[in-house]
Amino acid sequence: MTDQTLQTRATASAIKPKLSRDDWVMRAFILGIGLWLVVTLLLPLYSMLSKSAQNKDGAFVGLANYIEYFSTPALFHSINNSFFIAIVSTIITISLASVFAFILSRSMIPFKGVFKGIALLPLLAPSLLPGISFVYLFGRQGVLKDWIGDYSIYGPIGIVMGEVFYTFPHALMILIAAFSIADARLYEATVVLRTSRIRTFFTVTLPGIKYGLISAIFVVFTLVITDFGIPKVIGGQYNVLATDIYKQVIGQQNFEMGAVVSVVLLIPAILAFAVDRFVQRKQVAMLTARAVPYEPKPHALLDKIFFVYCCVIGLAIIGIIGMAGYASFVTFWPYNLELSLNNYDFDVMDGGGWSSFYNSLKMAAYTAIFGTVIIFTGAYMVEKAKGFKFMRGIIQFLCMIPMAVPGMVLGLAYIFFFNHPDNPLGIIYGTMPILVIVTIAHFYTVSHLTAMTALKQMDPEFETVSASLKVPFFRTFLKVTVPVCMPAILDISIYLFVNAMTTVSAVIFLYSTDTSLASIAALNMDDAGDVAPAAAMCMVIVATSAGVRVLHALLTRGMARKTQAWRKR
Amino acid sequence: MDNRGNDASDKAYLKVKNVTKNFGTFTALKDISLEVFEGEFVCFLGPSGCGKTTLLRAIAGLDIQSAGSVSQGGKDISNLPASERDFGIVFQSYALFPNLSVADNVGYGLVNMRSNKADIRKRVDELLSLVGLNDQGDKYPAQLSGGQQQRVALARALAMSPGLLLLDEPLSALDAKVRVHLRHEMKELQRRLGVTTIMVTHDQEEALTMADRIVVMKDGVIEQVGTPEEIYRHPATPFVAEFVGTMNFLKASKGEGGQVLLGGHALSLSDREKEKLNGKDILACVRPEDIAVRNVDQATDNSFEATVKELEFLGSFCRASLNYGDGESQIAADFSINLVRDKGIEEGGTIRVALPENRIHIFSQG
Ligand SMILES: Nc1ncnc2c1ncn2[C@@H]1O[C@H](COP(=O)(O)OP(=O)(O)O)[C@@H](O)[C@H]1O
Ligand SMILES: [Mg+2]
Repeated sequence: MTDQTLQTRATASAIKPKLSRDDWVMRAFILGIGLWLVVTLLLPLYSMLSKSAQNKDGAFVGLANYIEYFSTPALFHSINNSFFIAIVSTIITISLASVFAFILSRSMIPFKGVFKGIALLPLLAPSLLPGISFVYLFGRQGVLKDWIGDYSIYGPIGIVMGEVFYTFPHALMILIAAFSIADARLYEATVVLRTSRIRTFFTVTLPGIKYGLISAIFVVFTLVITDFGIPKVIGGQYNVLATDIYKQVIGQQNFEMGAVVSVVLLIPAILAFAVDRFVQRKQVAMLTARAVPYEPKPHALLDKIFFVYCCVIGLAIIGIIGMAGYASFVTFWPYNLELSLNNYDFDVMDGGGWSSFYNSLKMAAYTAIFGTVIIFTGAYMVEKAKGFKFMRGIIQFLCMIPMAVPGMVLGLAYIFFFNHPDNPLGIIYGTMPILVIVTIAHFYTVSHLTAMTALKQMDPEFETVSASLKVPFFRTFLKVTVPVCMPAILDISIYLFVNAMTTVSAVIFLYSTDTSLASIAALNMDDAGDVAPAAAMCMVIVATSAGVRVLHALLTRGMARKTQAWRKR
Repeated sequence: MDNRGNDASDKAYLKVKNVTKNFGTFTALKDISLEVFEGEFVCFLGPSGCGKTTLLRAIAGLDIQSAGSVSQGGKDISNLPASERDFGIVFQSYALFPNLSVADNVGYGLVNMRSNKADIRKRVDELLSLVGLNDQGDKYPAQLSGGQQQRVALARALAMSPGLLLLDEPLSALDAKVRVHLRHEMKELQRRLGVTTIMVTHDQEEALTMADRIVVMKDGVIEQVGTPEEIYRHPATPFVAEFVGTMNFLKASKGEGGQVLLGGHALSLSDREKEKLNGKDILACVRPEDIAVRNVDQATDNSFEATVKELEFLGSFCRASLNYGDGESQIAADFSINLVRDKGIEEGGTIRVALPENRIHIFSQG
């Protein structure tokens, strides 16, 4: 026996595994996805970086543009403004949303579901909607203009108010998730130890949501600092980085300076993103270690106060959307308050008319369909392929980048890359496909993470079993993975659809007269002083998003009924 | 140790030679060599983390070994991907497709072979009745009990009539009663089909009752290969002795004429154990159930007096803790309830026990 062992050891050399056909196909897909991300994300961003170091003629000038930027007070003051707005808005949003989330997850007030639904409504609207609404509420002819005294709504006050409205649901979702992972046993311990409610809050509740809170802060900060719609509509003379990019590019045709401002805006966004990723990793660790879920108990007085608080916030949100809705039906504000559909007659106005709405629908549908297919398939390949670790790691990293790139910056980067005379892909410039592609790229990260979460819950041995049964993996992908992951797939497509309907920043530089979109039409009508039609267009978008959401809910429910035989509850 | 001898090795169906598997700097399998014969039921037995699953996955081509070769049915399959090998597999999780009916799960691989619908239907029915699930074909996996799910997974693994059946802890997700029942069923089925089978388990009872041969593993190496009887009666290492069954490890020293000294008592040994008395530190080992009391008197070989320190009632038998020699050394012995009653064994009493010559194992070191 020993002799034989010695003999064979000499021949036992390292094994080079032969790749199966499935392995080849998966690797081809992974390379394809990698190529897609490089072309739709990395190369455009690179073009933008290099553009920021070039002069008008395309010659390399090093940091000259940056030096010019930082020696022009009118430009670099916007950095202060952007940070000021972002910090103030973040503080207000987080304070309001924390309390709201606390109430929804830790109290026994009635109508929690209704309150949550209302709080999430802003997600359905383009970010210019609150801007328009505040013009009607607090503008020169606003119905509540006395409320802000001598201050003007056009400027930081208006921007902050708009940003709070727009970012509230984002913060709320993260915070509700953070509150819901609390361990009831800790609370039982505080009761046994007769700890006061205040002390419990500071010793148990706050540490428990620490990571969620930090994450929410950075998400809100990023959303605000990169937002374009609200400062555009209600910012007045108050410049922020995002509007500066627009002014440089559209107003002055100074693309190089636009690139410089983009890089300046990219830095805080990337930093905030990095912190958020770091913190989320910790939060996940807490989640898996979770124990007994917390059951709230009624408290007569506190529940009354909480209820009033939720009513105030809920009414404010409904009021803001409602104001825009009401104004959109008013014939001629404020002189003729008769209701009519005049403002919905988009075809008689500049901005693209109803066709821009149909374009939006088309664009959103294409984005939802192609985006879901690309993102889910990509996530599947990256998650399930064997070996090829290096490539998979790179793709995972690329998938995270879009989260850190402001829409304006991505849009501008697309100009530089796709509009370059030497780029054969330039044929899609100014067409529907480029709008779809930029929107998919812009919203890639969240969709990818949703897909990954669903895929990680699948038994890792499904593919193994298929291989042992000589069934090619794509059959298992279509027959098992896709049906089982259908809820997540629907979530991704609805997320892409609604965001494609409402986005302004990513597409503002890329539409052409043939491919104007509803959100852009609203922006342009507002720019031209047609505020009421702009409000009307926003309402059309809200109604569409809401309709699609309802459809999605019905679909999900129908599917749940159909599949409950095999789904474990 | 191979009970079939070397002359049979040419007929081995599966040959694993010098297989090593590294995960980064960690070596999960160290130079493993092993042969499995046609129709045999082999168990990989060892504590969690010892590399059983890794070896199984190397054999399946799921995580191919870093070095070494695997051949099946005379064909070198060392570097082939799983899809080009010939095996069926059942995982601990079963990995049943949740959205497909039981029948579709079982027929999953058949559809791909382009057989016609009626043939598939027939084969699926055949497989389902084979595992005793005749009328469950239309249900979904979630509607079945754990034991039924396990049988569906087994039927699916057998659907393509593979040359090799691989089972990774197929019973460990079930409760004790079902597990014992399924043990026999699976063994019976395997014998009927004659399919060469490798099962991974950390449960020694499972291995002892089901396997034709057991491969005991520890830290990425094979400790011993043998029939359940061999493994139990003649453990090759202290690890095997301790891992399979219960064993007394008693400090001893070398005596005269091939005897071993245990607490002042000179005990004689079988010939195969005598040869092992060749180190400084000697352990004499005996299983609690091998300690004899009936028909033991002064004249019995290897017998001595011991006091009963403790008597623990364990249902069908009693475990006694005995003091012997200087009164410090302890040994555990299992006595049937009958014996305890007949002999009037009680705590504090003295009895005469014998350690039968052929039941003493010697391990020496140094
Ligand atoms: N993919 C892997 N990467 C790194 N280490 C692994 C991997 N798979 C298994 N191991 C390690 O190899 C050892 C053997 O694992 P395994 O074969 O699963 O043990 P078991 O005998 O319990 O089935 C363990 O220490 C495990 O941590
Ligand atoms: Mg294992």
